[in-house]
Amino acid sequence: MIENNATNLLFSAFQKKIEEEQEVREVIRNLCKEVDKFSREITAVLQVMHHSEEGISPACLKARRLLDKVNEGYAKLKEVVPATDYYKYQEHWRFMTQKYCYLISLIIWLEKGILASHETVAEVLGISTLEQTTGFHLDLDDYLVGLLCLCSELARLAVNSVTRDDYEKPLRISKFVMDLNSGFRLLNIKNDHLRKRYDALRYDVRKIEEVVYDLSIRGLLPKPDAENALEMPDAMTES
Amino acid sequence: MSGRGKYRGSRPRNNYQNFPSVAKEGTASLAADSPVLAMFKNAALKLSERQDRHERLVKLSRDTTIESKRVIFLLHSAVTKEATGKAVIEAKERLQKLVEGPIKSIGLELENSPLHLHARAVTAGFQEFIEAKTFCSLMENKTIVTYPEIQKEFQYDVKEEDGENTRKVVTFLPHMDYMLGLADLTGELMRRAINSIASGNRQESYHACQVVRHLYSGSLGLYGIGKELSRKTTVMRTNVSKVEGAIYAMHVRGREAPSTLDTAAATWDAHDHHSDDEGFF
Repeated sequence: MIENNATNLLFSAFQKKIEEEQEVREVIRNLCKEVDKFSREITAVLQVMHHSEEGISPACLKARRLLDKVNEGYAKLKEVVPATDYYKYQEHWRFMTQKYCYLISLIIWLEKGILASHETVAEVLGISTLEQTTGFHLDLDDYLVGLLCLCSELARLAVNSVTRDDYEKPLRISKFVMDLNSGFRLLNIKNDHLRKRYDALRYDVRKIEEVVYDLSIRGLLPKPDAENALEMPDAMTES
Repeated sequence: MSGRGKYRGSRPRNNYQNFPSVAKEGTASLAADSPVLAMFKNAALKLSERQDRHERLVKLSRDTTIESKRVIFLLHSAVTKEATGKAVIEAKERLQKLVEGPIKSIGLELENSPLHLHARAVTAGFQEFIEAKTFCSLMENKTIVTYPEIQKEFQYDVKEEDGENTRKVVTFLPHMDYMLGLADLTGELMRRAINSIASGNRQESYHACQVVRHLYSGSLGLYGIGKELSRKTTVMRTNVSKVEGAIYAMHVRGREAPSTLDTAAATWDAHDHHSDDEGFF
């Protein structure tokens, strides 16, 4: 007959493993909480873009300084997470990382008007982009979700820039988001959280288009060049 | 799982037809050499690579599951002692083939990816395999194969392409999957105990009952376990009471009859409770 002892050993070995795991989890959770604080601060700082054009570049500078601290946080996180277990504990920092991807790409767009690449975002966070057997990296999914969040924020910005008589920015936003939209259509997205977020993109696109349409139909677009002139009658026939 | 993905994948393209003309122009305006396009092409490549790997793993895992289930069935079908011996030998062979086949392929497939990324794809296969493996070892020599022992079996020497050197490949077995497999084992043991009563093998049924009890009491001591294992613990509890009920019936009523007539007593409980186990009988 089987020894009770042997079965007990099975379970105690497992229990020990669970306890070790929970200690690691605890440390990660606390660290993530700390790092996540900055994301809220940066978000708050950047809100200025919706009501003041002049406030944008100082806000970006301030956000950049905060990002340095985030970078330090990620360095600590990298140390704590066991090299092989990135995906085991990923849930703890996933949401936070997505937010940072969004914030970093937003800052870069505000500063230069270009799309921050996966590498650039990872570099700001101080982590790698390579998905290897070991190590801490920026998951491609998280980066893409960050970009989708960026589109939502830009849709809001398009509306608000019109309110403060900036008719040029919505056009730039429209071009940028359209580019992203057609880029995303190249991806074969599975039925997961990324796809859910992606499905929301069309609403952002539509909102931006409405803004551009409103401007174009009222002739408010800044010095319509050849391309815009072509667009206008087209839009009118559709309505 | 795979069907769902394929179907969903093609939807946005159709829906896109409804987008206003401005959006269509936007697409056309994306220059072939734009960095955005390059970035997304790269991302598309990476994403589909990951998805393909996932699909392949799911398939391997399913192969493992099916064969493990068959092995378990084989072990159940043996009634007499000689038949059991034969069944165990065949079961061992088939399990070994699994280790050398699909499970090795899982290891090779995951060789260059992070450990837990595809855990969800393979967990079902592992659990079923553990169930079959431990069941087989219990019938062979009344011991449960431990986690380190199984993990050790999952190490392979693979020949490099040049044909001379070998490299080590390990199929990583999450400890959680092992425990989940053990939890499922109680269901098999319950069935085994009841079958043994039916065939008049009291010794065997007492033994199976005892193992189920041990496994259950061991799992009671665990804390901080995930949702899945806690759920299985409740299933274990019902298994324990079913076995105990059957043994009780045998004990009380079996007294009045020769051991060949225990059949009637044993089936008493088997139909009584609704079983939420897979039920492949």
